[in-house]
Amino acid sequence: MSTNRASRTSVPPDPSTGPWAFLAQRWELATLAVLAIAPLVIPALGGALGGQVTNLFIYCILALALNVMVGYTGLVHLGIASFFGIGAYVLAILTVPMYPFQIGFLAAAVIAVLVTAGTGLALGAPTLRLRGDYLAIVTLGFGEVVKVTLRNLEQITGGMKGLNPVPPPGAGVTVAGIDLGKEFAIDPRWFYYLALLSLAGVVLAMRRLENSRLGRALVAVREDELAAQAMGISATKVKLAAFAMSSAVAGLAGCLYAASLSTTADPNAYDFNRSIMVLCAVILGGLGSIPGTLLGVAILVGFDTVLAPWADSWIQQMNVNPKGLSYLSFSGWRLAIFGVALVLVMRYRPEGLIPSRRLASELRDGGAGS
Amino acid sequence: MNNNAGPAGTPLLHVDRVTVRFGGLVAVSELDLDVPEGSIVSLIGPNGAGKTTAFNCVSGIYAPSSGSVRFRGKRLERSFTPGTILRALAVGLLTGLLFAAAAVDVDRLWMAVVKRGMITGEPFTMSGAMERLRGYFRSELAIDQMAGKWRVVSADGSDVLAIKRDLGEARLVRDALQAKVTARRTGPGTVPDATDLNQREAAAAPLVALPVVKEEVLDRLAAGKSRIRWRGWLGLIAGLLLGSAGTLAVWQRGRRSPHVVARAGISRTFQNIRLFSSMSALENVLVGLDRTIPGGVFSMLLRTPANRRAEAEARQKAIAALDFVGLSGDANRIAGQLPYGDQRRLEIARALATGAKLILLDEPAAGMNPNEAADLAGLVERIRDRGVTVLLIEHHMNVVMRISDRIAVLDHGTKIAEGTPAEVRRDEKVIEAYLGGEG
Repeated sequence: MSTNRASRTSVPPDPSTGPWAFLAQRWELATLAVLAIAPLVIPALGGALGGQVTNLFIYCILALALNVMVGYTGLVHLGIASFFGIGAYVLAILTVPMYPFQIGFLAAAVIAVLVTAGTGLALGAPTLRLRGDYLAIVTLGFGEVVKVTLRNLEQITGGMKGLNPVPPPGAGVTVAGIDLGKEFAIDPRWFYYLALLSLAGVVLAMRRLENSRLGRALVAVREDELAAQAMGISATKVKLAAFAMSSAVAGLAGCLYAASLSTTADPNAYDFNRSIMVLCAVILGGLGSIPGTLLGVAILVGFDTVLAPWADSWIQQMNVNPKGLSYLSFSGWRLAIFGVALVLVMRYRPEGLIPSRRLASELRDGGAGS
Repeated sequence: MNNNAGPAGTPLLHVDRVTVRFGGLVAVSELDLDVPEGSIVSLIGPNGAGKTTAFNCVSGIYAPSSGSVRFRGKRLERSFTPGTILRALAVGLLTGLLFAAAAVDVDRLWMAVVKRGMITGEPFTMSGAMERLRGYFRSELAIDQMAGKWRVVSADGSDVLAIKRDLGEARLVRDALQAKVTARRTGPGTVPDATDLNQREAAAAPLVALPVVKEEVLDRLAAGKSRIRWRGWLGLIAGLLLGSAGTLAVWQRGRRSPHVVARAGISRTFQNIRLFSSMSALENVLVGLDRTIPGGVFSMLLRTPANRRAEAEARQKAIAALDFVGLSGDANRIAGQLPYGDQRRLEIARALATGAKLILLDEPAAGMNPNEAADLAGLVERIRDRGVTVLLIEHHMNVVMRISDRIAVLDHGTKIAEGTPAEVRRDEKVIEAYLGGEG
């Protein structure tokens, strides 16, 4: 798993495998190990908390998908939630008992990922020549179009009711006397592990992407599109690849989301808010940085879906707020805290909490130069 | 040493009467320039003479307003192949299907084909689905279920004609009504349909009471067939035309993109350094090597041995390229943090890494002191000795006069002189352009 390409020859050490990078990688492995053991030690993860953390992992996958576009390639994408939604709905259509397909989770997930990648290509192909803000507006519009389409194709998507029940992964599959479908339905830890495994796979893929030919081309196009073209790189193809990869990974996150909720929820679950939330997480953590993105999600989404409800219930338990006044509940302040935190981070650490090596140097350099 | 150019015949680069206009402004006018293989040719002239514009024209950033640029006797543009047409058609077909889906109401189509198949309780089969698909496009009456009762409905489900408790009864009604609609569709005078209609009605009559269906509803149902087909075809064809034409238009506009020129074997540096400033020096050169690294996305994700080997080889080559320009010690430094002169050299290393046969250097010695400029002149000569032809824009006259095989002088977009350094140095017009004429 480790990408330890030791310098065998006279080649100076590759920066991606230098001591710092190695530490970073071990840090990732250590986190993975802790997260893998956690459910065995903390019983709470077998309950509602397990579901919340699973949700967090899914958000992490979605944020890494967005990072390919915004972080590596520098294309502002405001509609990532639509690909998340397409993934969820395709999986649901292929598995719900209401429709005749009812194929297994794995096959359905593969098809869903391919469909989202294809949709990404279809959106990207005509719009790639747009730059900066214009592309942002197109993706924003696409997000809304998808949401409204999902709502209006009532016969296919179930309209505001969504599609349900999405059977759990492994429904009907029995391995060594264990009915996987049942296990998934009963114990949230199964989903926890499935999401963790997927997240680890995506992180590994992103690591490899970063140090590959395509990854360099993505960054080159972000840095200077014309110069990249003058090096023989087809900016169009590179951006299309970014679109496809980003959409595919977002689709994977959507599959996990629908399966873990056992419903697609209503189309509003895939609206602009979710796109922006994920974008904020990526920017907060550090554009183009894998650990940064993960941390950004952990902070923003963790705050929103784990900490805020917990704080609310604590306040209620303490009986501080018997009248239910909104300014005495934590949720009432949730968005304010959120906004202030974002402002502070952008003021004091514009490159993000864990900046990518590349972008950090750029921003500090720019700051020193001006 | 003048004209130690390669073999006679076509020059490596042939610029033929190229004019570049920006609106009313003529940046380059009727420029002729030949660059023989293996030579160093310089383009000089005062500021604003159109040198960089000429470069941009050769490297595909601008298209010439008139005239042509040929590299090894060929125009540098993507060639029109059957693949181009196929791709355009594929995109067109996709657009067409999308349009058609919208035109025939994909939502109701789905209901008719997929959901109705589930309602009757029979196992879902492909042939059944195809049958229902055909039925939808023929606007045939269908049966569906709501609240435990069977309904005879129009194909798109918008008209409910009868409600029955029993599936068999519903089927009889459907058949009878369908015969009625078909008869209306084919016209009143057609005998076979009329008898068929009578027979079916007679067969159904003792079993079920046929509902009374209004005349206008029957008319609408009869017209539905042609309407939905017509809409589908219209959508498909409109999408096909729009999609294919659009793809071709975009292809046409991207024909002379810089990356096409670069892949043909022309690489360049920029007057205002355009490195990938947040990447390391090594990575910059690796981007230049991009085209020479084999392997696709999947070998990258799986990190196959072939992929590792390709990356390692590329790294070696990049180190060699950095070594060539004298930056071997700075491989892991961030490009944007290198000193100015090193950035220029890195840009040259990056351009060389593409494996170009012709390299365009836009003021490589700009901002250098005489010592550095002399080093650079040596570097340019070494590039030429590697078999790479050099076209140069430069203001350092020492450098230009020392290394050029030929010099072309531009002034106000026109070429005013061309020849060996010695010839150009003596040229009256050149002296006038540089020092200013009298009066």
